[in-house]
Amino acid sequence: MRHRCNCLAALPRVAAVGTIAVLAGCTTGRPAPHLVLSPSQFAAVDWQEVASLSRDSTVNFAMWSGEEERNRYLRGKVATELKRKHNIRLRIAPLSDTADAVNKLLTERSGNKTGGGSIDMVWINGENFRTAKQAGLFWGPFAERLPNIGFFSAQTRLRDFGTPVEGYEAPWSRAQFVMAYDSARVFDPPRSIEALCSWIKSHPGRFTYIAPPDFTGSVFIRHLLIHFGGGRNVCWSTFNRNLYEKASAATIKLLTDLKPYLWRRGETYPATLSDQNRLFSNNEIDFAMSYGPSFASEHIARGEFPPTTRTFVFDEGTIGNYSFLAIPFNASNIAGALVVINFLISPEQQLDRARTLGDVFPLELSLLTPEERRQAQGLPTGPATLPAEILAAHLIPEPDAEYLQRLEKDWLEKVLRQ
Amino acid sequence: MVLPSSRTSSRLACWARTVAAIATVGLSLGPVTLLVVTSVARQWYWPAVLPPEYSLRAWTDIASPSSGVIPALVTSGGIALAVTALALIVGLPAARALGLNEFRGKRIVAFLLLLPVLTPPLASVMGVHAIFLRFGLTDSLLGVILVHLIPAVPYCALMLSSSFANFDTDWEAQARTLGASRLATWRYVTLPAIAPGVAIAAVFAFLISWSQYLLTLFVGGGHIITLPLLLVAFQRSGDQAIAAALSLVFLAPTLALFAVAARFLKHDPSSV
Amino acid sequence: MVDAMPIESSRIYQALGSVQRSRRFRIASMLVPALVVVGVLFVGGLLVAIGQSVGYFPLIGKRHLTSSHYGALFHDLEFRKSLALTFILASASTLISSAAGLALALALRDMARHSRLLIALLQVPIGVPHLVMAVALINVIAPSGLIARSVCAAGLIRTPLDFPVLVNDRYGSGIILAYVLKETPFIALMVLGVLVRLGDEYHSMARTLGASAWQRWRYVTLPMVAPALVSGALVVFAFVFGAFEIPYLLGRPYPAMLSVVAQRHFMNVDLTERPEAIAIAIVIAMIASLVAWIHMRLARTLTGVGRPTIF
Repeated sequence: MRHRCNCLAALPRVAAVGTIAVLAGCTTGRPAPHLVLSPSQFAAVDWQEVASLSRDSTVNFAMWSGEEERNRYLRGKVATELKRKHNIRLRIAPLSDTADAVNKLLTERSGNKTGGGSIDMVWINGENFRTAKQAGLFWGPFAERLPNIGFFSAQTRLRDFGTPVEGYEAPWSRAQFVMAYDSARVFDPPRSIEALCSWIKSHPGRFTYIAPPDFTGSVFIRHLLIHFGGGRNVCWSTFNRNLYEKASAATIKLLTDLKPYLWRRGETYPATLSDQNRLFSNNEIDFAMSYGPSFASEHIARGEFPPTTRTFVFDEGTIGNYSFLAIPFNASNIAGALVVINFLISPEQQLDRARTLGDVFPLELSLLTPEERRQAQGLPTGPATLPAEILAAHLIPEPDAEYLQRLEKDWLEKVLRQ
Repeated sequence: MVLPSSRTSSRLACWARTVAAIATVGLSLGPVTLLVVTSVARQWYWPAVLPPEYSLRAWTDIASPSSGVIPALVTSGGIALAVTALALIVGLPAARALGLNEFRGKRIVAFLLLLPVLTPPLASVMGVHAIFLRFGLTDSLLGVILVHLIPAVPYCALMLSSSFANFDTDWEAQARTLGASRLATWRYVTLPAIAPGVAIAAVFAFLISWSQYLLTLFVGGGHIITLPLLLVAFQRSGDQAIAAALSLVFLAPTLALFAVAARFLKHDPSSV
Repeated sequence: MVDAMPIESSRIYQALGSVQRSRRFRIASMLVPALVVVGVLFVGGLLVAIGQSVGYFPLIGKRHLTSSHYGALFHDLEFRKSLALTFILASASTLISSAAGLALALALRDMARHSRLLIALLQVPIGVPHLVMAVALINVIAPSGLIARSVCAAGLIRTPLDFPVLVNDRYGSGIILAYVLKETPFIALMVLGVLVRLGDEYHSMARTLGASAWQRWRYVTLPMVAPALVSGALVVFAFVFGAFEIPYLLGRPYPAMLSVVAQRHFMNVDLTERPEAIAIAIVIAMIASLVAWIHMRLARTLTGVGRPTIF
C-alpha cells in the first residue's frame, strides 16, 4: 500500500512540473515591434536595413503541406540555409488547404486583430488571393521593391488568375497541369479532350477526376470549360458572362453524360490527390492528373508509381499558373518575411528547389547570368517529366478566378448532386 | 439439483467461445500488424498480397529532425500532461461532491457534466473558437490546453464519482478521530482507496488530450502542431508507410498507459 | 410539548439550517471549478454558436436575430439527405456493434475471468485512433485492397472492378464496418466489466432453481448488463452521429454525413456560409443533448444489480 502511495503521490508532482513547463512555454515569444514596418516605411528604407532588422527572428510560413518532400525540403535544407545566411528561423505552419489561412485571416481581420498575427507569410494564388486581396488581408505593396524580383518576367508579376497583383504578392513557383498514365497498361493515350472523352466511353470504370473544390479536380473541369468556350485563343483573363454561360452549359452536360462511364459510375469521386494516386497505383484507374509536371517522376522515384508511367498534355494545351508569396496584414515579423521571400525567389534558391523537388524552373532564362542559365538548362528531369519547351508551347494561362468559382459551384449543384 | 447439460448447447458454447477468442485477437492484433507491415513495405500495390520489397525509409524519415515528429511528440505529451493534471485537480472535488452526496440539482449537474462528453467536438469548437479569439487565446498552447479540458474534466469527474460512491467515509472519520490531519487522512486513507479510479481517470484524461484533433486544429490555428495533426497531414500526403509508422508512434504511449492502468486495476478491480 | 419549547426548537432548526447551508456551500465550492470549466468553455461556446446560428454574428456584420439559417438548412435537400443518412448510419452502427459487443462479452465471460490478457487485447482497438482505423480498413476492403488481392491471387477475380464495392459506396458499408470494428470491443468491455465483477452466483442460483437457459438470460443476465449496454450504446450513437474522420475518408462526397457537410460549409472562404455550418453543428449538439437526456432517464429505470451510480 505504501508503494502505491508513493507512486501516486509522485504523479501529481510530475504533472504539476509538466504543467508549469508548458505554461511557461505559453508566455514566451512576444512579438517584437522592430520587426513590423508599414509599407511606406519599407519604401523609404534601404534593403540592408530590412535585412539587419530581421536578424535573429522567427518567420512563420503558412503553406500547403500536401507534399511531404516539399515540407521536408523547406524544414530541412532551406531552413538551415536561412539560418546560416540571414540568421532567421523558418517555421512551417502546415495547411491542408490555403483557404484555411484565408479564413483565419478573415476572422482575425473582422475581430480587429491588427497585430501579432501568427502567420508572417503565406503561399497563395488564384481565388484565395482574390478573396484575400478584396478583403484587405495583405500587407503591401512590396513585391516590386524586392531585390530579386527582376528575375521574373514582367508578365508574370501582373496578374494572378486574372486578378491584378499590384505588388501584393511575389511570384515563387510555376505549375502546369499534366496527365499521367502507365504506358504498360495504356498503349495509346488520348492526346486531346475529344479523344479523352471517347477513351472514357470505350473503357468504362477506368477514369475519374478528383471532386472539386479540390484544386486539381477544379482545374480538370476548367479545361473542359475552355475547350467548349473556344480554346485558348479566346480571352479568358477577364470574366465574360455570356462566354461562361455558353461554355459551362456544355461542360456540365458532358460531365453528366460521362457519369455512367466513370469509375464507380460517377457515384463518388476521389476526395484528394493522394486518394487518386492510390487508385492509380492500385490499378483501379488508368489516369492520374496533377498540377506538378514532375509529379509522376517523383512518385516513380518513391516506388509509388510503376516505372513505366509517363505524362502528357493535351494538344490544345493545358492550364498553367504561378503561385505566389504574400504577407498578411497583421504579420508579426514583416522584416523577416520580406527577407525570406527575397531569399526564396532568388535564382540560387530556385535552382536548388528545381533540382531537389523536380519543380519547373520559373525564372526568365534571359535574365540570368550565363552560369545560372547553363545550370537551369541542365536541370535533370525524371523519366516521366515532359521537357520544358513542350510544356511552354502548350501553356494556357489561368482564366479569371470568377470562372473557377462559378464552375465549381455549378459542378457541385448540377453534377455531384444529381 | 443438477440439471443435465445438453451436448449441443455445450458444443455451441465451445464454438462461440472459439469464434469470440479469434475475433478478439483479430480485432486487436489485426490493425497493429497491418500498420507494422505497411510501415516497412515498399511498392505494396495491386495485385501483391504481401509487400514485394521492404525498407526502413519511413522510420528513418520519422526520426529525422526535418519531419517535425519529435517536436510534435513533445508538444502532444506536454499538453496531455498539463490537461491530465488540471482535469484531476478540477475533477476530484467535483467527483467527491457528486459521489458522496445527494443534493438538489444533482441531476442537473450530472447532466451538465455528461453533455461535453457526448457532444461531438465539431459542435462545440466553433463557438469556443469565437470566445478564444476575443480573449486572444487562439494560436497559443494555453488555449489548446484549456480547450482540451472541455472533454477531459467531465470525464474525470464522472469516472471518479463512481470511485467515491464506493468509498466509505467512515474510514476518513476514523482516521480523523485517531488524530490524523486532513492532509494525512487524504494521503493515507482516501487516496489509496480511490487510487485505481484516479489512475484510470488520469489515463483517460491523458488519452483524450493525446488524441484530440479538431479542438487543437481550430484553437491552435495550425500554429500548435500535435501528433494527430501531423498524422492527418501525413495521411493526406499519400505516403502510406510514413503514416503507418507515425500511427504506431502515436499508439505506443496509448497502449503503455492502458498497461499501467491495468496494473492498478489488478489490486482492486471492484473499486472502479 | 411542542409549544413548550418554541425557543429551543427554533434554535435547533436554525442550527440545522446552518449545517445544511454550510454543507450546501461545501458541495457547491467543490463543484464550482468543474462547473466553471464546463459552463464557460462548453456551454458558453455552445451559446455563442447558437447566437451565431440565429444571426448574431458581428464578425460579418450581422446583428439581428433571424431563423433564416435554420430555415434555409431544412429547405436544403443536401442537409435533409445528410441528416437522414447520418441517423441511419449511426443507428445501424450502434445496433450492430451493441449486438456484437454483447455476444462477444457473453462468449468471453468465462475466459475473461481468468485471463487478463483478453481484457488487455480488447483495449487495443480502443486506443487505435479512428483515422488510422479508417485508412487500415481502406487498405483491406477496398476493391484493390488486401482481401481483393487475395481473391485475385486465388484466381476468382481478375481486376479490382470485379470485387464488390465496400468503401465510398452508397450504403455506407465502409463507415458502418469501421465503427463496428472500433466500437464492438468498447461495448464488450463495458458489458464484461459488469459480468466479471458480479460473478456467477446469480446464474448458478437461477440454474439451481430450475430456470431454463432462456429464463436465465432474460431475467438474470439481461437486467444485469442492461445499464452498461444501454449506456455504451448511447455513447456510441452520440459519437458516430457527430464524428468526422471516418465519414470523410470512407464515405461519399454526396450525400455526406452531417459533420462533413458542416466542415465544408465552415471552411468555405465565403464567410456567409459560416452560420449554416454552425447551425448544422447546433443540430448535432441538440441530438447529443437528447441522447444525454435519454441516458439520464433510462439510467433511473435501468439501475441493475451492482454498485450505485451517480444518477
